[in-house]
Order: sequence, then structure tokens, then C-alpha cells
Amino acid sequence: MRVKSTLVLFPILCLILLLAPILLGLVSTWLPAFGYMPVIGATHFSLSYFNALFQHPAFTASVTSTLVSGIGATVLSLALAFWVIMHLYGTRSWAFLQKSLSPLLAMPHAAFAIGIALLISPSGWLLRIISPDITGFDSPPDWLILKDPKGYSLLFVLVLKETPFLILMILSALNQIKFRETFWVGSSLGYSSIRIWSRLVIPQLMPKLRLPILAVAAYSLSVVDISLIVGPSAPPTFAVLINRWFNDPDVSMRLLGSAGAVVLFLIVALVLLSILIIEQLLAKTTASNLVNGSRRSIISTLRPLAYGLNYSLSIIGIVCLAVLIIWSFTQVWRFPDALPSAYSLKYWAKSWPNLVDLSITSVTIALASTLISAIIVVGCLEFEVWAKRNGQSINHQRVLLLNYLPLLIPQIAFIFGVQVLLLWAHVEGTWFSMVWSHLIFVLPYVFLTLSGVYRGYDQRFYDVALTLSGSKWKSFYQIKLPMLLKPLLYSTAIGCSVSLAQYLPTLFAGAGRFSTVTTETVNLASGSDRRVMAVYALWQFAIPLIIFALAIGLPNRIFKDRVAMKS
Amino acid sequence: MKKTALSILSASALTLALAACSDSPDSKDIEISQELTWDEIVDKAKGQKVYFNAWGGSETINDYISWAAERVKEDYGVEVEQVKVTETGNVVSRILAEKTAGRNEDGSVDLVWINGENFKAMKENELLAQPYTQLLPNYELVDTEGKPTTVFDFTTPVDNMEAPWGMAQLVFMFDSAKVPQAPGSITELMKFAADNPGRVTYPAPPSFHGTTFIKQALLELADDASALYQPVDESDFEMVSKPLWDFLDQLHPTMWRGGEAFTQGADEMKQLLNDGEILISLSFNPNDASNAIANQELPDTVRTYVHNSGTIGNTHFVAIPYNSSAKAGAMVFSNFLMSAEAQARKANPEVWGDPTVLAYNKLDSKGKALFDDLPIGVATLSADALGTVLREPHTSWVAALENEWQKRYLK
Repeated sequence: MRVKSTLVLFPILCLILLLAPILLGLVSTWLPAFGYMPVIGATHFSLSYFNALFQHPAFTASVTSTLVSGIGATVLSLALAFWVIMHLYGTRSWAFLQKSLSPLLAMPHAAFAIGIALLISPSGWLLRIISPDITGFDSPPDWLILKDPKGYSLLFVLVLKETPFLILMILSALNQIKFRETFWVGSSLGYSSIRIWSRLVIPQLMPKLRLPILAVAAYSLSVVDISLIVGPSAPPTFAVLINRWFNDPDVSMRLLGSAGAVVLFLIVALVLLSILIIEQLLAKTTASNLVNGSRRSIISTLRPLAYGLNYSLSIIGIVCLAVLIIWSFTQVWRFPDALPSAYSLKYWAKSWPNLVDLSITSVTIALASTLISAIIVVGCLEFEVWAKRNGQSINHQRVLLLNYLPLLIPQIAFIFGVQVLLLWAHVEGTWFSMVWSHLIFVLPYVFLTLSGVYRGYDQRFYDVALTLSGSKWKSFYQIKLPMLLKPLLYSTAIGCSVSLAQYLPTLFAGAGRFSTVTTETVNLASGSDRRVMAVYALWQFAIPLIIFALAIGLPNRIFKDRVAMKS
Repeated sequence: MKKTALSILSASALTLALAACSDSPDSKDIEISQELTWDEIVDKAKGQKVYFNAWGGSETINDYISWAAERVKEDYGVEVEQVKVTETGNVVSRILAEKTAGRNEDGSVDLVWINGENFKAMKENELLAQPYTQLLPNYELVDTEGKPTTVFDFTTPVDNMEAPWGMAQLVFMFDSAKVPQAPGSITELMKFAADNPGRVTYPAPPSFHGTTFIKQALLELADDASALYQPVDESDFEMVSKPLWDFLDQLHPTMWRGGEAFTQGADEMKQLLNDGEILISLSFNPNDASNAIANQELPDTVRTYVHNSGTIGNTHFVAIPYNSSAKAGAMVFSNFLMSAEAQARKANPEVWGDPTVLAYNKLDSKGKALFDDLPIGVATLSADALGTVLREPHTSWVAALENEWQKRYLK
């Protein structure tokens, strides 16, 4: 006999909240792509918009730069992530790496891109420091290093941003396999540590890294905000071009935009599929090598490079922050001065009232979407616990895939459709639509960061509590939740930072009535005033940082009299 | 546990339902008609909230809008909130999406800062409210005779469907400390670029400033510019536009980044001018250079100039969408924006420096005094020095030129 529980409502709710907007959004983006958009008189299904798309003068160039930056960033950041981990595991730098990851990950994309631009452009800080003494430049050189047509600068920024993410994913995958044991066995058989990684560890890791890698690829191929700041300008990358068409004054361009959204969706699908096929092929062709007995590798000699890389990631992050801080207090800073010639608090003072308003909106949306996500995720995980007890099996793989879905489908491919649906339901530009549109992207991260620890919870604590109190709710609320408070708060912080960084969902679902720190920062990045831009970018960075500090600090405060609960 | 789960669920379901209901259309607004009196409009406007969708990329302008919002709150009890948009095209698309979805009342936009192509798109798709500017007392002060662009927006008849807000004219800026003599025409600009390789550029079309630059170039280069004022279908595009492409083919190799990358707009150009990466920038606001100097965004040696044969000028407006839920409030705010007080403040280079749409001789003595007292920016050209204002070519040329430009120069 199958037992039922109301807890089953959580997975159902989760399914609806995530799948409904994506699937319906896709459909209502696809209809205009095939020429169906009654309000502008388009009621005949046809393929002509795809023709128009393929013949558009910007099409080839923009798809090229998209592929170069998207695929390049994925491959490079994966290689770098492995490189760093392989070489640093068990060394003294390891602790540093783990500590430096969180702030790097918390840095919002837009702020990071602005910082990099202020750093490396021909009039950036790096050249200002060494000019004119070393370079002899009195005015910035005419170098094409930012916003280059092929998207290399975009690729570079994406790599810097995605490498820490993949390192984190590899770390968490390592916890899921018998890594230590593998290492001991490998070492005792005389394998060099590089060989242990390439022959014994990575083949075990790959299946667990598949989804994160695909998510990185999908993101890199369809990012809009970073691309606006450091991506190519004429033409921009494909996602930016589509976004521009959706916003063109000539309304018939919506049809072209929709066709573009469909094609971008297919391009991403194709790239993801290729990654899966290549992974399979690599696994097959290298399978025989795995047992060829070779114990040393040439790669071992390159270890110092990995140290450099480890530190340079953090150094770039810190310098990025420094240049933003300097610019935010600048009054006048002309090339080639190494530092501003006049400082001022004016731009902070001027921006502050607006920043406060924006922060209230941003944080409210972030907290609301994260708390709802956390409740649903905990509900789903409790359902798993319950199901396991009652002998029902849960397909973890499928649950994982559902959670990854919003991260694998390009936002621009379905967000226009979502906007049309929200309008149709008369809920566009309301808190409801804002929170839901953020939740689609927040919930997966809450789930991914929480599920491991939650599933690993020793349920016997709960059982003891239950026998003592007789109340399921009390046992859950007074024992299990406090014991899981730390990971819960950490997931909440991650969820908030994901919500805070959202750009397209805020624009499309917010009806422009909702400005957040992020939309405003990206806005100002196209303006002319670097000082104001820096103030906003810094603040965009500060908010998630404050939330992270709270999430880490709170448990220690709450449990200050309970030694065993502290870290 | 079960019970709690259920109660949380039902609570959130209730919130969803409430959120969905809270936005139902109300009929507290007016229908625009010829019979409306100003008093009726003011009366209805009281307490309304106007979502003013305006480009938000400039803090100077945002500050001005905040000031205007405070003033109408004081005088009329109308609350104005600026929705800062990156591109006005976004707003048009949103209103269109609302129409698609049948949201014909209680739209998200009550007033939009607009002109040119965006206005044409809204007009053609019937996204605008009924003609209304004739109902506003301050509209009588507008210089419709001396400034024909207040009634023809890029050749599209305005038909009282948008209220003139400010004037714009293409001007160029250069740093007089580095460049002794600014080029006086588009051909001289080419010579200048050849003499100073890598120091001249323009924004890529289809951005607003980029398209304006190529229109300006074509107006100067075309054998017969009158063709540009007719719909593009009625002339030989290839022949009329040929001088432009010949010019650009020659200009690009001498340009910034070898003509392989372009800027996105005048703001980015201003940054590059400040850094000394380029020597000449452009703007649609004749006071831009003075503002930027005051704001220490540009060195105080920067000056403004125009080409000898004149430069393109136009007017920017505010318009009310057909599905606005605060039309009365939007009308009151439009009227205030056209007042001598608001226009004089806007024209002040220390505030914004956007030229007025009003006719000086139509103002009362108090209004005249406001304009007489305005300071003149160090890098601002007098009305006389601004020279001839060239009208915008027929709107149909925009898409044709943009498309051809992209075909030729996007690789």
C-alpha cells in the first residue's frame, strides 16, 4: 500500500513554479518567430522571419563572436579550474583557495565587468600606472583590447568569472566520491598526483560535473549584461542583438527578435549536445589509456603556473575592487595620472538617496524570492526523507535536472514570452511577477547548495527528538532546523546574491517599474560618468557581501553558548 | 508538519491570488476629449501617480526630473515617478506587448520621453492617447512657428499627440588645447582623421548618435539633398547614398581602432575625449560640453563647434500612451514641463542646459526675466553661432541607411 503525505505538494509546487514559466514562455516566444503575433497584424504562419534573420547583416558576425566567447570561456575556465585544483590539492595554497572562492563568487557580474574595463582598457588603471614613464604614452594608445569584434575580451571576463564557480563545483563533486581513498591507493601504487587526477579522479568526477559545465556553457553563450559592458559593439553578441530587436522602435522587429531567440535556443542546445558527445568520445578513446600503467606526466613540471593562477584570480578580484573604490571617490582623474588629481565624496553623497531606494527594492525581492525558495526546497527535501522512509524511491538525477533546467535554457530565449504572459494575466510590473521571475533562478541555487548537506543529515537526531517530544513539528523546528541553520543561511545568502544579480528578468517582468541596483548599474555603465558608475558597481558588490557576512556571522551569534553548534 | 505545510501553501496561494487581483483596472482617470477644461484635468489629476518612462543614463537629467516631480507634487498633488529606461524602444515594445495582451487600461506607462522613430512607431501602431497638447495652457508658449521641428517630428506630423519638451542640435566637441583648428565640414573631418590616425570615431549605427552622424555626413555630401526629404522608396537609394559610402570607406582605415570597433553612443565618446583617446566627440545637446566641464567630466579647454553648412536638429517630446491610467496627471506634468519656470531651469547649463522649446516673445515679463538671468556656459555656442539647423531626413531613410551600413561594415 502506498502512503500519501501532504509534503508531496512541495515537489509539485516546485515543478509548476519552475516549469510553467519556462515552457509557456518558450511557446509564446516561438509563436511570433513563426509569424504569429496578432496585435501587429501578423497572423500568417511563415518561415520568412528566419529567412530575414539569416540574411540580416549582423547575423553571422554576432553568432561568431557569441560562439568564440561562449565556447572559449567554457573550455578555458574548465581547464583552468582543473588545473588549479589538481596542482594545489594538499598544498599550503589550498586553504587560501578555499577562502578566496566565496568573495570571488559573490562579486556580481556587472560590477566585475565594470572593474575589469576600468582596469585593462587602453585608458585603464594598468596603463595609467606605467604611463608615461615606461610606455611614453601621453594619451591612451589605440589598442583594440576591449569590446573587440570577435569577443575575446568578453571571453576573458567570462573565464575570470566562471573559473571560481567551476572550482567550487569540482570541490563539491570531490566530496561525493571517495577522493581521499582514491588518492591513497593511487599514491601507494606510485602514480604521480597528476596521474591520479587524470586517470583515477577525473573519470569519476565527470558525470557529476556534467550539469555545471553545461550551465556555464549556456550562460556564456547567452549572457547580456556582461556583454553590454565588455562585449563587442558592432555588432554585439547574439543575445544582446536579440534583446535590442525586442526593444526596437519598429515593432515588427519583435518577430525577428523571436526568431533570433529560437535560433539562440537551438545554438545553445546544439553546443550542449556537442559537449555531451565530446565527453562520451573522450571517455571512450581515453579508456584504454587509463590502464596503460604510466605513472608520471609531463604536466607535473608546470605546477608553479597553477600557484600563479590561484593567486592571480584573487589579485584580479582585489585590484578590480580597488579601482572601483578609487573611481568612486574621484573628482578628476585624467590620463596618464596614476591616481586621481582631486578626490570627492560628492558622488557617494549624490547617489546615496537613490541607492537606498534601489537597495530596498533589490533586497526585498531577493529576500522574498529566496525565502519562498528555501521553504519549497526544504519541503521537497523533507518529502524525500518521508518517501525514503516509506519505501518510495526518488530519482535524484531527475530532481537535479529539473533544478538545472532554468540554468540551461538561455534567459533571452523565453523571457519575452514570459513578459507577454504576465501582461495577459495583468500581473506585469507587480511584486508578484518580480518575485516569481527571480524565483525561477534563485530556487535552483538554493536547492543545489542545500540538498547535499540536507540529505546527509543524520535523521536519528530527529528520531530521538520525536520519541521525546511526540511532535513531528517540534522535532523538526526545534532540533533539525537549528542543526541545519548554518547551511540554510548559507544557501539563503547564495539565493539572495543570485536574485540581486538578475538583469533581464527584472527588466522584462518589472515593466520598468522595478529598478534594482543591478539594472541601474548596467544602465550607468553605458553613461559617461565613471565616478557614478563606480559608486553603483561598488554598492552592487557590497550588498551580497553584507548578506554573506550576516549568513556566516549569525549562527555563531545565535549559538554563542552552544560549543558543539559553532564552526 | 503536514498541517503547517498545508497552511503555508494556502497562505502563499492566497498571496498569489491577492497579488493578481490588486492590479484590476479602475476608472479614476479621464477620457481625453476636446471638451475637457483645464480645471477638470487638474481636478482629476490630484492624487494620481504618473509613471514617467525616461532614459535614465544621465544623473544630471535624472536630477532635473526629480525636481520637476517635486514641483508638480507641491502645486497639483500629482506624484511623478521616473522609470529609468536604457532605451526608449523598450518602452514602445512594452506598450505594444500590453496591447498584444489586451491590457487596454491601466497600462504600465503613463508618460514617455520620446521622439523620431519611436514616436512614429507608437503613432502607427495606435499606441498613443488622443491629441492633448492643445488642452494645455502652456502649449501656447511653444515656438511652433520659429521651431518647425516642434510640429514635425523627424517629418512625422506631431498632431498634438506629444508635448514638445526640449530642443536638440548636433554639435561637435574638441579639446582646444590639443586641436588648434576644428574641422568645418565633413570633408575637413576626413582630412583631420587622416592627419591624426586613430583619434577620430563615431558611434555605430543603429545607435541614435551613430545614425545621426551618417545622416549628417550624407546631408553634406549628397549631390541633391532634397531627395532625403522624400520617402526612400521614391528615390534611387544606391545613387543618392553613394557619396556617403565612398566617404566612410576612406574614413574607416584612419579611424580609432582602425574602424574595427565603434563606440555605442555620445556618452562613451565623451569618456574617450576626456581620456584623450579621441580628439573629437559629438553630442545632441549644445550645452553638453559646458555641463561636462562644470561637472569635471571634461577638461575646461573643450569647446563646441558646428559645421559651416549647418547641422541636424530636432525636438524631443513627452507623450501619453493610449492605455495610461493617469492621463490627467500626465497632462498636468506635461504642462508643467512646458512652463517658463521648468524650461528656464532646464536651459540653465548648471542644471541641464537643454535648449527651450518656448518662444521668448510669447512669455510674460516674469518668464522673460527667468531666461535673461541664465548663465552662459563657457563652451556653449550662441544661438547665432549654432548656425543653420538642418531638418532630419524623412524617417524612412533611417532604416535604409542603418541596414546598408551594417551590410557594409559588420564583418
